[in-house]
Amino acid sequence: MSLKKLLKPFKLISIAHKSGVVTVLYPYQKPLITTEFRGKISIDATKCMGCGACVNACPPNALTLSRRDDTIVLNYFIGRCIFCGRCAEVCPVGAITVTHEFELASASTRDLNESLVHRVEKCSGCGGGLGATSRMLQYVILRSPASENYVHLCPNCRKKKLIQSLAMKMGARTEDYEG
Amino acid sequence: MSVKEIMDIIREKLGGIAEDIRYVESAGIIVRVKPVNLREASHIVHDVLDAYFRTMMAVDERPINNTFAAYYVYGLDDKGINIIIEAHADPYTPVLPSIADIVPAADWYELEAWDLLGIKFKNRKLHRFVLPDDWPEGLYPLRRDVDYTVRPSPRITYKPPLQGPRLPVGPYHPALHEPEYFELFVEGERVVDVEYNGFHVHRGIEKLAESPRFTYQKIPFLAERICGICGFVHSVAYTLSVENAAKIEVPERAQYIRSIVLEVERLHSHLLWLGVACHLLGYDAGFMHSWRIREKVMVLAELLTGSRKTYGINLVGGVRKDINMDKITAIRNTLAWLRSEFAKLADLVTSVPQIVRRARGTGILPRDEARKLSVVGPVARASGLDRDVRRDYPYCAYKDVSFRVPVYTEGDNLARVMVRVEEIFESMDIIDQLLDKLPGGPIMAEKMEVPAGLVGIGNVEAPRGEDIHIIITGRGRPYRWRVRAPTYQNIPALKVMLRDAPLADAPLTIASIDPCFSCTDRIVVIDLKTGKREKLQTVSIPGECGCEI
Ligand code: SF4
Ligand code: SF4
Repeated sequence: MSLKKLLKPFKLISIAHKSGVVTVLYPYQKPLITTEFRGKISIDATKCMGCGACVNACPPNALTLSRRDDTIVLNYFIGRCIFCGRCAEVCPVGAITVTHEFELASASTRDLNESLVHRVEKCSGCGGGLGATSRMLQYVILRSPASENYVHLCPNCRKKKLIQSLAMKMGARTEDYEG
Repeated sequence: MSVKEIMDIIREKLGGIAEDIRYVESAGIIVRVKPVNLREASHIVHDVLDAYFRTMMAVDERPINNTFAAYYVYGLDDKGINIIIEAHADPYTPVLPSIADIVPAADWYELEAWDLLGIKFKNRKLHRFVLPDDWPEGLYPLRRDVDYTVRPSPRITYKPPLQGPRLPVGPYHPALHEPEYFELFVEGERVVDVEYNGFHVHRGIEKLAESPRFTYQKIPFLAERICGICGFVHSVAYTLSVENAAKIEVPERAQYIRSIVLEVERLHSHLLWLGVACHLLGYDAGFMHSWRIREKVMVLAELLTGSRKTYGINLVGGVRKDINMDKITAIRNTLAWLRSEFAKLADLVTSVPQIVRRARGTGILPRDEARKLSVVGPVARASGLDRDVRRDYPYCAYKDVSFRVPVYTEGDNLARVMVRVEEIFESMDIIDQLLDKLPGGPIMAEKMEVPAGLVGIGNVEAPRGEDIHIIITGRGRPYRWRVRAPTYQNIPALKVMLRDAPLADAPLTIASIDPCFSCTDRIVVIDLKTGKREKLQTVSIPGECGCEI
């Protein structure tokens, strides 16, 4: 074996010398993340309307929506989040942004939950729960102004109103339909 | 050779026993046979037509046609076409003839179908394979009538104690990704037989994907989590299978981006493996430098996708993240740096005596054994089988690039090292070519509808070999999604590689197939003469699993 070949493994010394130290003293120095890095999401409470589009898209069910009579609660559990950013992609009002935050370890799961509570609008006809938040109604009206006449009514009252107006056209008296 | 000509050959050879022969563009030529003719058909396709065994999908089709079905997928690599043998079994007592003696690679698939679907295979030994020992008898989780939330209480089992003095071997590490467990039977320093025991943390994702919790667009993220190292491969294979089945037109640009990211993933995976191999051979300096180089690839992956691993940019129909000029410059710069750095390292590693001497002539897998087991990836290429899915069954943008497929005939550990080293250079060339040709346009398909009842195959050349997914579409989610990762096909070959070899070579040989299952390989050594068992802490492979981020 030639001497050159024999000495080849020692080339590593020069490679090591040239490359120097490549690790950083995290957490004292900044971690190496790029501009594209996807971390935890942040939901803008002033924009979110509680529509649940993000919940449907979230692959691991980190986002959940619970509907009660008078509230809709959007909950974000960081412990399940895979930081994919699908929610930000599908949100119709751009309420979700993907941040660079990744130092999320905590001793309590409470710190890993974030909730957003929305009040549910009342039906202007019967006063029952409408199942929608006021922002959702505004969103619908903005997109189709003609809907303004009926979005504040619950499906039952809407049906009633429709039948009523049809019947009126055909000459029925209003009192038949009251009470 | 056109599809028609191949159909003619198949009609000639199988016409006598086939009930139906049809061509489905998204899958291949499907030949339906009666169970009694299954063995003959398998023999003709595997031995006469010389097709590789690729995968088998067993399906509970009782809600559709009141049978259990098995689809055996063979590939004519040189023609890039699949031949699928379809057989149906009785819905009440499903039985099919075993073909494991004709097609040795089918052994595991039969055991799995028995375990998960309760399909019996005649004339062979069936035993627990995927399910744990304490899983109740007669409950087959992949059947449609078993809900995905079923958590049966464990059955109490009694296993007769092994002969001779026993030493505790476990517990199997539950926290790790996919621990595997080998039992090596030795005579002195020589390994005489090998037993494999795996699937300790089988996660049942195929069942989960059929559940109402998932939709077509959520599964790419689930698929990506099958593997912590080459996850993107699985998400691409899944999306390809759906896109093929439903004939979704994926924009060219998206195909290119997928290919680029797939090659970036191969770079990181091979560099990781090379480092691990150095570490196993006691050359830690090589390990560290390999990983120093790899780090740049990880940062590049994050820049391209948003995450170092589990990239999450894939959806049915295209990709979610585009590449701009800045990123192209970053890729080019990284590649230029990588080329020179890796050339130096590769030259070094392949000349260090402790590596070359330990790797040469050890863990030999002869060509005919490799062929019999239809092994895939670098393991196949190091044993003289010239197969690479990227060339043989082109997908994404691979039809537009030219590359060399390194093939070695020695079949030893060194050959497997060399194949991977050369593939790193080829990958860098492929990325360069893709960037040169990168077309403009959208990155997501416009129309996306997935009708039910279609079948599609998606295959990808993972760093570890061919990864193949089959799908039968359902409403809103797959009716059945069958995943076959490359390691599944390669582990049976370890038996051949380890047998009659010195014990000291075992750790390297096991690692040489680049198994994708565990952080710690634990091997039990049983001395046949004394019956004594001891635990051998072989390798602590950093990052050989999902815990590597
Ligand atoms: S999609 Fe947007 S608006 Fe709708 S619930 Fe989610 S964050 Fe709120
Ligand atoms: S980032 Fe992904 S996983 Fe996390 S909440 Fe959004 S959609 Fe769900």
